[in-house]
Parts: sequence; C-alpha cells; structure tokens
Amino acid sequence: MIALIDGRIAQAFLLILILVVVSLVTRLGSRRTLTPRKLAGLDTFDDAIKSAAQMKRPVFFCPGLGDVGSSDTLAALAVLKQVARLCAENNVPIIVGNADFNVQQVTEEIVEKAYKDAGKAQLYSPEMVRYISGRQFAFAAGIMGILARERPAVNIFLGEYTAEALSISEAGRAVSPIQFAGTSNTDQLPFFVATCDYVLLGEEMYAAEAYLDKNPEKVAALLGQDVGKFIAVLLILISALTLTFGVEAFYDLLFM
Amino acid sequence: MSKSLSERISGPWQFLMQLIIFLVGFFYAIIFYVSVDEPVDVNQLARDGVIYFSIIGLVAFALGAINLTRIHWRNISNKRPTRPYSIVLLVGMYSMFVFGAIASPFRLDPSASVLPAGFIQTFIPVWEFAYYKMFVPVYAMVFALLGFYIASAAYRAFRAKTVDSTIMLVSGILIILGMAPAVELAVPQLDLIRDWILNYPNTAGQRGILLGLSLGIIAFSFDRLIAFKRRG
Repeated sequence: MIALIDGRIAQAFLLILILVVVSLVTRLGSRRTLTPRKLAGLDTFDDAIKSAAQMKRPVFFCPGLGDVGSSDTLAALAVLKQVARLCAENNVPIIVGNADFNVQQVTEEIVEKAYKDAGKAQLYSPEMVRYISGRQFAFAAGIMGILARERPAVNIFLGEYTAEALSISEAGRAVSPIQFAGTSNTDQLPFFVATCDYVLLGEEMYAAEAYLDKNPEKVAALLGQDVGKFIAVLLILISALTLTFGVEAFYDLLFM
Repeated sequence: MSKSLSERISGPWQFLMQLIIFLVGFFYAIIFYVSVDEPVDVNQLARDGVIYFSIIGLVAFALGAINLTRIHWRNISNKRPTRPYSIVLLVGMYSMFVFGAIASPFRLDPSASVLPAGFIQTFIPVWEFAYYKMFVPVYAMVFALLGFYIASAAYRAFRAKTVDSTIMLVSGILIILGMAPAVELAVPQLDLIRDWILNYPNTAGQRGILLGLSLGIIAFSFDRLIAFKRRG
C-alpha cells in the first residue's frame, strides 16, 4: 500500500513547488544573459593561481571531512574541477588532501583529467592527491604538516569542516599569502573569516561552480534558487503574521 | 600514462551511469515522503540499499591505505628529507593494523576460535599501550592546540579597523564579559545584553545563512540528479 508519511506531506508539496519554480525560472533565465553578483573570492582565483606560478609554489586544496554524499563535498569537488584546470593551464602543481577514501578516488580522477585536458599530463603525479586520515585531528595534523613542508602559495579549504577548521586555516595563514575558504557549517564560518582572505558564506559555495563555469544554464539556476528563497521567506512571514494574530491553521498546514 | 576512469567510461556508458545515479537518487528522495509496504516493503529495501552502498564504499578504504603507502614508500626510497616521518607513519599504521586485528576490543577473532587465547592475551597490553598511551594523548594534543589558535585568530579578528570589525569587537567583548562568572556577579545586566545578542542578531544572521543554504542544497542536489539530461 502506498501512503504519504504524516508530517512530511506539506514538505513534499513545498519541495515540488520549489523545484517547479526553480526549473521554470532557470529555463526562462537561460534565454537571457544573466550576470551573478560579484563574489570577490571567486574573482581572485585566477590571479591567485597566477601568483602561485610566479612564486613557483604549489596550490593546496582540501575538500574537508565530508564523504561523497555530502552536498558541501560535492560543491567543493565542482570548484576543484575549475581550480585544477587553472593550475594545469598555469603549470602550477596542485596538492589535494583528503579525509574520505571515496572522495580520494574522485579527486584523483578530477585532477588527473584536468592536467590531461590541458595537455599537461606530464605535470600530473599521483602524489598530488593524498589520503590523510578519516580521524578528525589526525587529518588536521596531516594537513598542517603538508602546509608546513610544502609551503603552498594558495590554500583553498572548501567543504564540510568542524573543529579542525581553525587549526588548519591558522597553520595555513602562517605559510601562505592567500587563503580561500567556504563551508555550510555556521559554527566554523567565523573562524574561517578570521583566518582566510576570502570566505564563501553558506550558499555562495553552491553558486561557485556556476560563477566560475559561466554556463548560462547554471547561472540561470542561481536565479531559480533566489526565487525559491523568496517563496520560503514569504511562507515564513505569513506563518509569523498569522501566528501573531492567533490563527494557527496556516502554521499547522506546513507541518501536515 | 594510463587512461583515467572518465576516459574509459564515455558515450552511452556514461549516459547509462548517470541515468542510474538519477534513478537511485530520485528513489531515495521519494522514499523520504512515501511509505510503500505492499507487495514489497520498499522502505526496508531502501534501508538495506544504504548498507550495501556502505559496504561497496568501504572497498575504497583499501585504496586510501594504498595511496598512503605509495606516497610514503616513495619518500623513504627516494631518501627525501621527510623520510623519518614516513617511516614512523608506515610502521605505526601497519603495526596498529596488526595489533588491532589481533587484540583490540573489535578484533577479528573475538571468541579466540582461530587464534590461541594466550596469543591474543599477549597482544592486548601492546594494543592498549599503543592506543591509550600513544594515540589518545597525541590526538588530544592536536585538539588542545585549538586553544592557542583561537587566541591568535581572535586577536587578529578583534581589531577595530572598520565599522564591521568594531561591531564585532564590541559584541565579542560583551559576550565574553557576560560569560565570565565574576563579571556576571558584579554587573548582572550583562546577562540580558549577552542573551539579547545571542538570541536576536546572532540567531537572525545564522537563520538567514541556513535558509539560503537549504535552498542552495535543494537546487544543487536537483542539478546533480538531472545532470544526465544536460550531458547526455
């Protein structure tokens, strides 16, 4: 027997509504040339990697502690594609430090492909993509060691981070002139803001791929997300107002 | 150089793989909202699927260990300056693997049905020493470093250079003072200020980020699911 699960019915309808709106707006938006708002951190990727080439120092990328199922990790991997491409084009070695063995396989594939696509297969070495440890602070110690020994010119920490965020970004700050970071963990964002030059706050990380790729369809999807956000804000406002005036029907409907 | 995975899987195979990813992803999205118990308990099937995926994923653990071994073995064989660290890492990793398999509380032969009980008993103090006397203190030490990093990061962040950083500095000082028991006793009103900062501006800011984040995740996941449509 098929039945909708209680308490998730409204969520299901809301999700469908948001997805329909997101895809409609994306389809309409992709017919026009849209320009996303400036994200300073992403605009400086190119220059930062060029400066790494001038300094003859590597670029370090860390996709965090998350596994391949984490949306933060997926967003980080999407950015890694662009970063590895820029590194290959500028003859800069990239070092990737992983905490998850599945992410390790994916990052190896991304980096190898980027160097091959740029016609720089001879620059790629399997030692560029390293598995560190799945243990949080063993991973942090491993990353801190790589940063101290390799002295990268640019550090990019994107993905799922918890308490190790500050240790590694502060260690990176001591050796590298420029650092980028981004995570959805709001508890760790202040630490990244204090230690990194550019920080992608929450959803900006998910927009990074579209921003760097400049694919019109992906840029239009960002507009779709914003419309979805307006719907959510509207629902919150209606709920708050109706509850203030003692009407609970709308609020209850959302938890049906 | 050998072909990478994406070069080996291309054309119709790539489309097929992306279609499978879409169908499995869509199945798990639907099963969160819908319960199907007849003729097959689909929800149980989904739970079983997660276990199978975890088992398949764990195979990659060996690949992680191989990667570590390969990198550090090259450090040793090429006599690089980091050779001593690599020796410590490899000896530590493989000896802990052996000691753990024989003598940890989660050992491979818990009832001593294959290995003699005396043999296991001999290794238990070795494993306990390596784990509780070496690994745990070193792990705690790396965690403890965080205290010093917080101090240096806070010093850098709390400098009144701009309006934003001045607001951060003032609110940070009020929260720190509000948390200190002695100050709390001397100026009880600080409690109210601290709670107001934490419950209103701080919560509002965090919820704003979380709201955008949730929608970002939905749109991003949807984009990953339908990737086959665009690329195929």
